Amino acid sequence: MIQNILYGLTIGGILYITAIGLSLTFGTMRIVNFAHGFMYTIGAYLLAAILLLTGNNFLLSGLSAVLLVVPLAFIIERYVIRRLYGVSVDYAIIATYAITLIGVDLVKWIWGTTPISLQDPIGKFMNIFTVDIPVYRIVIIVTAIAIFVGLGLFFKKSMVGKIVVAGLEDREAVSSLGLNVNKYFAYIFILGSVLAALGGVLYAPITSVHPYMGSAFLQLGFAVVIIGGLGNLNGTFFAALAMGIVMGITGRYWGPAADAIVFMIMAIILIVRPEEIEG
Amino acid sequence: MKKMNQALLSVEKLDVAYGSAKVLHNISISIGTGEMVFLVGRNGAGKTTLLKTISGFLKPRDGSILFNGKNINALSIEQAYSEGIRYVFQDKRVFSELTVKENIAIAAYGAKEKLSDALDKMFLIYPKLKDFINIRAKGLSGGQKQLLLIGRALIGNPSLILIDEPTEGLAAGTIEDIFKVLAMLQGKISLLIVEQNLSVVCRLAHRVYTMEEGKITHEFTQDQLKDQSQLEACL
Repeated sequence: MIQNILYGLTIGGILYITAIGLSLTFGTMRIVNFAHGFMYTIGAYLLAAILLLTGNNFLLSGLSAVLLVVPLAFIIERYVIRRLYGVSVDYAIIATYAITLIGVDLVKWIWGTTPISLQDPIGKFMNIFTVDIPVYRIVIIVTAIAIFVGLGLFFKKSMVGKIVVAGLEDREAVSSLGLNVNKYFAYIFILGSVLAALGGVLYAPITSVHPYMGSAFLQLGFAVVIIGGLGNLNGTFFAALAMGIVMGITGRYWGPAADAIVFMIMAIILIVRPEEIEG
Repeated sequence: MKKMNQALLSVEKLDVAYGSAKVLHNISISIGTGEMVFLVGRNGAGKTTLLKTISGFLKPRDGSILFNGKNINALSIEQAYSEGIRYVFQDKRVFSELTVKENIAIAAYGAKEKLSDALDKMFLIYPKLKDFINIRAKGLSGGQKQLLLIGRALIGNPSLILIDEPTEGLAAGTIEDIFKVLAMLQGKISLLIVEQNLSVVCRLAHRVYTMEEGKITHEFTQDQLKDQSQLEACL
């Protein structure tokens, strides 16, 4: 059981790192961003490609993969997302889904469809409560907590963070102070995309890298964001970890239901709190 | 009362529409440097729309807005801000999750002004705010929020401040606090204020425009405002 909980926390950590970008994008721009799944996928593929160039140096490869997503996110924000501010949410879904479809085909064209397996970059185990847990999984959990704390400090202490918090509440009022809200929201989009890529990078050694890995994780990410409360950054963290544990425990008894249980909880949340999706 | 100096703001034959629905018709008003002008009229008369158009939130369909002699029809909100125009929203829209100091810091950042200078300006018009500086803005009373917003608009040396319903929903004592602050600003900065409280209007205004169904219906000078009943008769 302890192993299932810890493995679940790993999934929860990845879910948080991935879902927080969705939550930020929705909270600031009111955009349901399906392109997020592509960022997750491309992060994993870039890692796999760069590992070959760096002789399996995971840290260097992972960092490079995440940084390479920055210009890609910038282009998507500048030429697609920025045109979607204030328009119907349907257009945003269609446009960002189109990015994912194009991106997935691009991945298939460049890397093919055969799944790529990556080895555990640390390869060591730690004994926790008599259970051997891969150190790499502990690193993922610690990374997720560090990102949670870091984002909290960013929004509380930095001027950009404060402007974004203000913009979340009243975008017009921020504009009325001479600040270009779009510029700050673009930073947030890029930050969210980088985190999605980091999610893909961290999860790649645990699962296999394949063109559709982002789509599956994106659905779970949306469920976590809804359970945590759309645009609620703290809620996303706790929902992600809770859902990870629920998935871990469910998977122990009935593997195929591990993902489904998250959507069932989301459905219950939507019945109890329909305003979560109605905005 | 004479119009002060030359017009800082001159709105000429302005038409504004939401889609196909025209909401402002052939509006012409002017505001001189240091002049305090009020807009009065019933709800839906188009007062807020006029303020939003001058401040860049809405674009005119026809006519022109000249500010310091420059046509600002096409300016964005941020560009209008850079020109020295500030807009204080109706409904006391502070950033409620941020502290009072953070609210001021964001305004100072937007105006590229030192936070210490911005705080000095705030405390000059509202010294009591020092006591609330580190609390979240949602904890302020309606009057305190309004004074914070007016103070925030003073950051960055603006030439013109547009204020939408500053005394709306406030108790009589608090209205007097707002009145004192506006009186303090009188002659120092140009103000265009939407206000329903005619007592406040008549005591402070250099001029008043009345609006009805998207049109300017009357203009009152300070001399004419000595008799409030004349203004009341037009509403």
